[in-house]
Amino acid sequence: MAELKDIANEFIRDEIEEFIERPDEIERIINLFVNASERMQDISAALIDGNHETVNELTSQALTDNIEASEVMDNGLIAGMAIVGIKFRENFIFVPEVLACARAMKAGMAHIEPILSASGIEPVGVAVMGTVKGDLHDIGKNLCIMMLRGAGFVVHDLGVDTSEDQFIDAIEEHDVHLIGMSALLTTTMPNMGKTIEAFIDADLRDDVKIMVGGAPVTQEFADDMGADGYGKDALDCVSKAKELLAERAAEA
Amino acid sequence: MNIPDTDRSFVVIGENVHTTRVILRKGKLIGDDPQGVESVRFRDGEGKRRFLEIPEKVKTTQDYEEGRVKHLKIAVQQAMLGSADAMDYIRRQVQRQDDAGTHFLDLNVDEISLKEEEQKESMRWLVGTVSAMSETPLSIDSSKIEILEAGLEAGASHPKRMLLNSASLERPEALDLAKKFNAQIVVTAAGESGMPQSAEGRVGHAGQMIDKALALDLPLADLYIDPLIFPISVDSQFGHHSFDAIRQLREAYGPDIHITGGFSNVSFGLPCRHLINDVFLLLAVEAGADSAIMDPTTAALGKIFTMNRDARPYQLAEDMLLGKDEYCAAFLRAYRKGELNS
Repeated sequence: MAELKDIANEFIRDEIEEFIERPDEIERIINLFVNASERMQDISAALIDGNHETVNELTSQALTDNIEASEVMDNGLIAGMAIVGIKFRENFIFVPEVLACARAMKAGMAHIEPILSASGIEPVGVAVMGTVKGDLHDIGKNLCIMMLRGAGFVVHDLGVDTSEDQFIDAIEEHDVHLIGMSALLTTTMPNMGKTIEAFIDADLRDDVKIMVGGAPVTQEFADDMGADGYGKDALDCVSKAKELLAERAAEA
Repeated sequence: MNIPDTDRSFVVIGENVHTTRVILRKGKLIGDDPQGVESVRFRDGEGKRRFLEIPEKVKTTQDYEEGRVKHLKIAVQQAMLGSADAMDYIRRQVQRQDDAGTHFLDLNVDEISLKEEEQKESMRWLVGTVSAMSETPLSIDSSKIEILEAGLEAGASHPKRMLLNSASLERPEALDLAKKFNAQIVVTAAGESGMPQSAEGRVGHAGQMIDKALALDLPLADLYIDPLIFPISVDSQFGHHSFDAIRQLREAYGPDIHITGGFSNVSFGLPCRHLINDVFLLLAVEAGADSAIMDPTTAALGKIFTMNRDARPYQLAEDMLLGKDEYCAAFLRAYRKGELNS
């Protein structure tokens, strides 16, 4: 079994030791890094540190040296983000620090995305995101989009006050795997359920996984509305999105 | 309390009777009652120890499981079912705000239910109940026009004028309600199809609403403009957007109009929220605000208006709110070093 000392990068080792407490997560994270080269670990470390300039340079150099784009993405960027996610969930870091990491992630992805799309590699997933009808709040939804894009998703942003028809049109227009609906107001939350009903009426419900989120939204509410998943914040949104994609793939 | 160096009162819209309000289970306000039932502990008006029991049904909710207790939601629900403890809990919340000098008691029941009929019924009940507990004017707060109307109807015989919270370009018909019920009104800078992205956007949206209000003969002194306060954790320029909008609104509309806001939004996603909120309030008042939608029991205006501006915590918060601290990095660094606790 891999151990912490098998990870070459000292910064990463310290991060794991200091911030990750659950044994299953320690194991998962260690396994993520032991298989990564030192150069990839350096990228992760810079990303965790929120240093977008270093991530930018190291990613670009790695690709110039013919390291596979998918390796840089998985072992460098996404692995680093996994630690960021846990630190945020456990309140070790705060929203602005996550955003600095997201900026670093974006700097790296800017080099990787064109290569992946040119070589015909499918994105991690395709999502459509919008704030539901009657609700103009978009700060939380935008954070989710930033995180999803950082994790390699293609996201079509429908903005705020999104009608059922706009969601349906988006499903028909793009090859969508995932719908994300956001609401900040208790009074607009029921529109999530109405939108899901509209998908059923349009016979599109089984084509997509649906996740919901927003300050007043809870797991119970998500279940009542017939959503497939609920994310409590932007990083949870990414893990739920990945889980739902895995479910979708298993069902296909 | 007057705004420093003026004879003008700072208008406090006390937001503590909201069904959204949360206390943490691990905090000292939660404990077992003599029967061993987990409860929210409080002292009633006579100083007697009392307990608002947390109903079994609540304990299966995600909020509860994650350690949050929606105490006012429980209180309103249980008081409507006849619980004397719950009734006294609400009475205590009202009294504490009155003692802190609130000018309006803001009532919001949006989270009581997802059914409009139940929301309206709760609002009518709460308006009647709080009117019997206090002479302080009521602020009827909802994001739904039907609930606003239900609250205003229920409060029509209240001896003091009410405040309607709120109207905006997405909900301009609330202005008609204010006119019909002779209420003052909070007007937010939300747009017809989106939130404002700048100071100018805020002033533009608010200006359109002010024009509509004036066309209905609502006087400027009855308007409370909320420029909308967004979290500084998300964008270091959000503080500027608010302060610039407040300054421009004050300049454009003169002394009569009120400028307010839900200022505590600014600190979402950050530690030391009270410090950030206090500094924001002070800077907002300097920019021209004369009111806030706030918890009057925890933010002491007298203390805020006389804060030591040379202190390092103050300066870190001010720099951050003025957009000089990208990603709140210096503020968070100081927080980790324990430099903000003074």
